[in-house]
Amino acid sequence: MSTGHSGQKELEGWIKPPNPELYINPLPVRIWHWLNALGFVVLILTGIQIRYANLFNVLSFETAVKTHNWVAFTVIANYFVWLGFYLFSDKITVYHPELNMRKFFDKAFKQIIYYSYGIFRGEKSPHKVQPYDKFNPMQSITYQIVMLLVVPIQFITGIMMWDIKRFEAPIAFLGGIRSVDTVHVLIFIFFVSFTMIHAYMGALGHTPSAHFKEMFTGYEEE
Amino acid sequence: MMFWKTPGNNRAILPVLAVLAVCSIIFGGVQLAVSAQVATANESAAQETTVAEKTTLTPDALVIGEETAIDVKSELEKILKKNSKCLRCHGREKTKLLENGQEMSLQVHKDDYLGSAHGDVSCVSCHTGIGNRKHPSKKTNISINSEREYSVEMNESCRQCHKQKFTQYKGSVHSALVAQGSEKAPVCTSCHNPHAPVSMANYQAETGLPCKNCHENIFNAYSVSVHGQGRINGNTIRDSHIQSPICSDCHKSHEVTALAIGDVLRSTCIACHENVTLLHSQWLPNAGTHLDIVSCAVCHAPFAQRRFDLHLYDNVNQAPVAQQEGEEPLQQQLQAIAEEGGSEDPLEIWKARSDYGQQGQKADISLRSRMEVMSGVAAHQIANKSFAVRTCDSCHEPGSRKSQNVTVSITQPDGRKQSFEADREVLSNVSAINSISDFYALGGNPNKILDYLLLLSLFAGVAVPVGHFTVGKMIKEKLDRGEQ
Repeated sequence: MSTGHSGQKELEGWIKPPNPELYINPLPVRIWHWLNALGFVVLILTGIQIRYANLFNVLSFETAVKTHNWVAFTVIANYFVWLGFYLFSDKITVYHPELNMRKFFDKAFKQIIYYSYGIFRGEKSPHKVQPYDKFNPMQSITYQIVMLLVVPIQFITGIMMWDIKRFEAPIAFLGGIRSVDTVHVLIFIFFVSFTMIHAYMGALGHTPSAHFKEMFTGYEEE
Repeated sequence: MMFWKTPGNNRAILPVLAVLAVCSIIFGGVQLAVSAQVATANESAAQETTVAEKTTLTPDALVIGEETAIDVKSELEKILKKNSKCLRCHGREKTKLLENGQEMSLQVHKDDYLGSAHGDVSCVSCHTGIGNRKHPSKKTNISINSEREYSVEMNESCRQCHKQKFTQYKGSVHSALVAQGSEKAPVCTSCHNPHAPVSMANYQAETGLPCKNCHENIFNAYSVSVHGQGRINGNTIRDSHIQSPICSDCHKSHEVTALAIGDVLRSTCIACHENVTLLHSQWLPNAGTHLDIVSCAVCHAPFAQRRFDLHLYDNVNQAPVAQQEGEEPLQQQLQAIAEEGGSEDPLEIWKARSDYGQQGQKADISLRSRMEVMSGVAAHQIANKSFAVRTCDSCHEPGSRKSQNVTVSITQPDGRKQSFEADREVLSNVSAINSISDFYALGGNPNKILDYLLLLSLFAGVAVPVGHFTVGKMIKEKLDRGEQ
């Protein structure tokens, strides 16, 4: 712990009086995000244990598989918290894609320039975070692909491998258990670097802890 | 499945179980009554068969009526009279010198013969071509090359009375081997002494005869296994009348087949161990798939060497590809491929076979894999349940590949399986996604390319943040210096 004075200041940073205009992440989104984050970490770690039982021996194969299955079903259920919230609230606009290609590329380019140069000069992000427009165009397109395509494919391939006999027909349709497993592993590999880079980029707010606070309290710092 | 096993659900299931129990009691009662009737019917049928099989009288003599009974009696007397003529000489110690220098005994022990099931069978009904006037003398000597050749020749005579058993035998691997010219494969008389036949149903687990005559190593493995010991101690399964099995219980006595092929083995085990699927599903993820792909002995013979066995499977006919008569054996196909510069791996065979189709059509052939034990001896070393392997790592750990072998097999024309060793890497090749699409032991045979991709992903996960951070710091310092 630091000295009492700076500790108090830090505490103030976390519990500033809320400004409704900067209420970015409502409770369901925060619950979903952190449960999902914890789930992903456990799934990645148990996944590594399952695949590389010769390198790590933290859990037995049986325990690793059973943990992986239980956590996976929790993550799947949690996905519907996210899906349900956005389907039944007006906040869905945050995921609305920029349909004007010119505008999209223009904004995306500005964002890339910002992350590769401007940020180091202490410039402000070209995208202003707002409750109904929280993602920059790069985030918006990435999260859409991840949440509506990659994550569901991971769920489906995982469920198939959970009960191979029950899903015999769809597995055969997809070219056999080996293909299904390969797809599942490829997406797992993608999520390993995605999770790490995601956490790093979370620290690229106007202060390193800004986005983390926002994800806990729901409020963007002024 | 395990996800639904909450205590709440168990309680909810109780009334259902109660209803099921009542139903099964009623159903069981009905079945008992029916089976009693069936048993009586079977018994009388069995008696009829015995009579039909035992008598060698002409069908005419079997016409119903009192007169026939007298006929039977007089016919029997005739036979015994004839036989006693033969036994007058052949009851004594007598040998014949065969072409191969072997001495064959011509002695038939009179008391054993007359007291046996064949006691009322006329000698000449099997030894056709021999009669009072046709008996071979020194002049008209019948030349016999070897005792074995004579036994094979005489085998057909059993068919006259034992039609059903003989047909079963003809479909067996034993008969197929005899036809191929095997010197060892059994004919009827190898197991049943024709002059003193006894029911083989009574043979003992301790001696293992007659199977042990040829399959000694396998029998020895069996006799110390949970099955062999159970048989000797008279154990029964779940307090029922089902005894611990002996050879013929799984392999059948006359239609002997090689059990290593396909689902035959599993269904044989499940025939007695009915609840295995349920018991395994209580703890084993994907229990059904495991039971399909892993042979029982892989886990229940804990010290056995194991292997991944790949066999060619015809997806159109839904059966393992069998070697056709006259076709180039698999071994030669493999060698030919190796000589042409290909590798000796089953994928090459698979490719070659897929291109080869009947009527010019491309065949739909894939490689199926099973986990099996290395040898027939190991398959019989079944231990008590408490010693069964329950560590998943023995198959699902990449390192375990080292202790496991990969073989490629084909069913031979006689029904036996022939296996060849293959390169272990075939299971983790990229091409396996296509060729061995139905088999993947999670973690057991991972694809190396995916391993490298994971390393790359981990590297990116570290390098991108570190790189961005470092470059950013450098730019900042440069800018700060510029401002100063």
